[in-house]
Amino acid sequence: MQTLKLLSAFFKMNVQMSLAYRADTVVNILLNIMWLGWELLSLNIIFSNTETLGGWGLGELIALLGVFRLVNTLMIALIWPNTEKFNQSIRDGSMDYTILQPVNSMFLVTFSRITVWRFWDLILAVILIVVGINMADQVTSAPQVLTFILLAITGMIIIYSLWIVLIALTFWFVKFDNNVTILQALLDAGRYPATVYPVWLRIIVTFIIPIAVATTVPLQALRGELEAPQILTFILVSIVSFFLASRIWKAGLKQYSGASS
Amino acid sequence: MSPTIHVQQLSKTYKVPEREGGFSAAVRGFFKRKYKEVKAVQQVDFKIEQGEIVGFLGPNGAGKTTTLKMLSGLLHPTDGKADVLGFTPWDLKPEYLRAITLVMGQRNRLSWDIPAADSFLLNQAIYRIPDDEYKATYKELDELLELEPLMKKPVRNLSLGERMKCEIAAGLLHRPKVLFLDEPTIGLDITGQARIREFLREYNKRTGATILLTSHYMADVTALCERIIIIHHGQLKYDGGINLLSKKIAPFKLIGVMLAESNSHDLSKYGELVQNEEDWDKQYIQVKAEDVTRITSRLLADLPIHDITIADPPIEDVIEQAFNS
Amino acid sequence: MFLIFKRLWQVNWAEQWQYRANLLMYLLYWLVSPIIYLAVWTSIANVKGSVNGFTANDFVTYYMVLLICDQITSNIVIHTFAYKIQDGSLSGELIKPIHPLLTNGLVNNIAFKMLTIIGLIPIWIILFFLFKPDFSGVSLSGVLLSIPAMILGFFIGYLLSAAITSLAFWTTRVYSIHEFYFAIILLFSGQFVPLPLMPKVIQDIAQFLPFQLFMYYPIQLILGKLSAEQIIQGYIMAGVWLVVSILFFNWVWRNGVKRYSAVGA
Repeated sequence: MQTLKLLSAFFKMNVQMSLAYRADTVVNILLNIMWLGWELLSLNIIFSNTETLGGWGLGELIALLGVFRLVNTLMIALIWPNTEKFNQSIRDGSMDYTILQPVNSMFLVTFSRITVWRFWDLILAVILIVVGINMADQVTSAPQVLTFILLAITGMIIIYSLWIVLIALTFWFVKFDNNVTILQALLDAGRYPATVYPVWLRIIVTFIIPIAVATTVPLQALRGELEAPQILTFILVSIVSFFLASRIWKAGLKQYSGASS
Repeated sequence: MSPTIHVQQLSKTYKVPEREGGFSAAVRGFFKRKYKEVKAVQQVDFKIEQGEIVGFLGPNGAGKTTTLKMLSGLLHPTDGKADVLGFTPWDLKPEYLRAITLVMGQRNRLSWDIPAADSFLLNQAIYRIPDDEYKATYKELDELLELEPLMKKPVRNLSLGERMKCEIAAGLLHRPKVLFLDEPTIGLDITGQARIREFLREYNKRTGATILLTSHYMADVTALCERIIIIHHGQLKYDGGINLLSKKIAPFKLIGVMLAESNSHDLSKYGELVQNEEDWDKQYIQVKAEDVTRITSRLLADLPIHDITIADPPIEDVIEQAFNS
Repeated sequence: MFLIFKRLWQVNWAEQWQYRANLLMYLLYWLVSPIIYLAVWTSIANVKGSVNGFTANDFVTYYMVLLICDQITSNIVIHTFAYKIQDGSLSGELIKPIHPLLTNGLVNNIAFKMLTIIGLIPIWIILFFLFKPDFSGVSLSGVLLSIPAMILGFFIGYLLSAAITSLAFWTTRVYSIHEFYFAIILLFSGQFVPLPLMPKVIQDIAQFLPFQLFMYYPIQLILGKLSAEQIIQGYIMAGVWLVVSILFFNWVWRNGVKRYSAVGA
């Protein structure tokens, strides 16, 4: 309950901030549409030269694009702005104030900035997914849709956990303020099915920076390609990684306060 | 009753990487960093009772901010104990954090892009302040600081003094019992400083809050504190009444003299000459406080004086002089 | 003049060196999309034998060379300069007797590039062994011809970016404008895919734009895929665009500074 109150306070504050920059918001939405146009054009270019990519058809790639945009929204609406705020607060020392607030600092660091208008991207993403699935002429059952949603969430939890670890590293290496670039960089790999990548790249985007776990995997579930044990493994991994991330965050805070040195 | 703040043998040692300039040094630094140890705070002891306002003084780098950070819970000490309101600060218990505040004059807690009122509401949520209590506190702070006209403007459009008022108010919305203030008046003009001072005194009187503050300005301290603690090179040098201190370490005054003619006159026979880079067209001599009248009249009689000023020596110099020898 | 550049170099090199960790991250960031495009197109070519005449090896060599060309011809001036106009710290540079963008900014960019290229070399070698491209079509003359082309491409790109950066004198939304410009480059430079695989309209427009000089043209020069006629045509285009971009940048810059001093930021 308290958490919800706090979340809504953050949300209100961020709505106000984006209202203060109305014109920027409009420009950003236009740019967003431009990039969507580019993404569709690039798919068009690819599929004017082939019928399948890594065994997937155009409809499936459009659906994948939708899933990718879901993850991208997480990145851009939460992870980017909060990383920026976090790095800034390490530089100018206002992190001190964050730590001295009587609320879980990981929570504060996650939600203090929200790019509110980005949420319209979620709608776009859902449209892409629905259109893509229809184009692919897949017969999709309700359980498949449910596992799809479930795995999209677990995938995002895994990415979120990785983010926490990456920014927590800043407590040890103060100058590490490109901390999430690697995450954002590999995110682009989520636009295409991991099956087209050479093995080493597939390993990276599945196990090291697990972008594919949040993009390719849920879609595989939607296509009914995953077995129960695999699905359970992904759920387990997301729980473990969240747990580990919060431990590393705490250790980072200790480092910041000089408890461990 | 046990003291509000009780500090025992508190020490903090930093490891600081050493770095030299130049390309090859940069290359070497990349592979192997050298560290040196800096003893920021060494075995400091003191007790502060509820409702006291204590000035925490010392030259730059003396360890004031480090001590404040340890007491607020931001830093773990290397050694020693501290007890504030029955808590160990660096455990960072939410109940503890709701009972204290730390205001740093050079840092912002308010978001620049939005009006302070919105950041206040966020703080209300974070500190879980019930609505009625929030309104009452806000009203009181508004009375003391005249916040209302500032609340609707984005923080970036406020002047430094106005912003500081909001920063302090933001730190007090949850009615902390202990206030740690690090240079709360820094950068403000004389009137701005006086306002903040006036406010702190009144706030202390009304709420009985305990205040520990550092400042560069002697006036802050003389106006607010009956008791001061001085640290220098991380060590406690003095803990006691301010009156006693002024007798002990500040029996000097600075007389600044601008001569109508060239500076050929030798002033050293009147008192000790003091360097002052900022004010090159004057010469300064330091004399004992009780001699000020006598020497001033002698100077006026003997020399073609254009302008003469009498002032307290800067706080840093006084401390440096009193404890370095 | 030489001394100025030498000193500027020392300062900027030392400064960039301080940020080496960030630089490495930037490099990784920037590496990913060409590798993804490479993977996508080779997987298609492997299935179909060839795409519009491009074999899998053609794609591998194209993107491997693109990594180098892009690194040489691109710039980061928007990130290192626009904020100076916005927060007013440009004032300090304007009163110096050297051009902020054409001396300090330029050297800063080149220092940045030197470091990223040094970082790129080992990564490129690793990629070489991972993808095993067949570079037998590359000739010394092609490589030699590509060097002045890339230098021209760099200067054209730098001037155009500098002109766009200078729009910060008028608008705070210069980063959005730059993002749009970035998309244009993506569309017309051959970054996503070799230009012949783009839709016909885009190919036709791209011919007259400077963006293919950043990537497609030097890559094809190195790979020895251009006829003598195409090479000459490319150089003429580069010459024309160099002049255009100098004039354009000068015009934007002069008016911008005029405005800046009038507003008194």
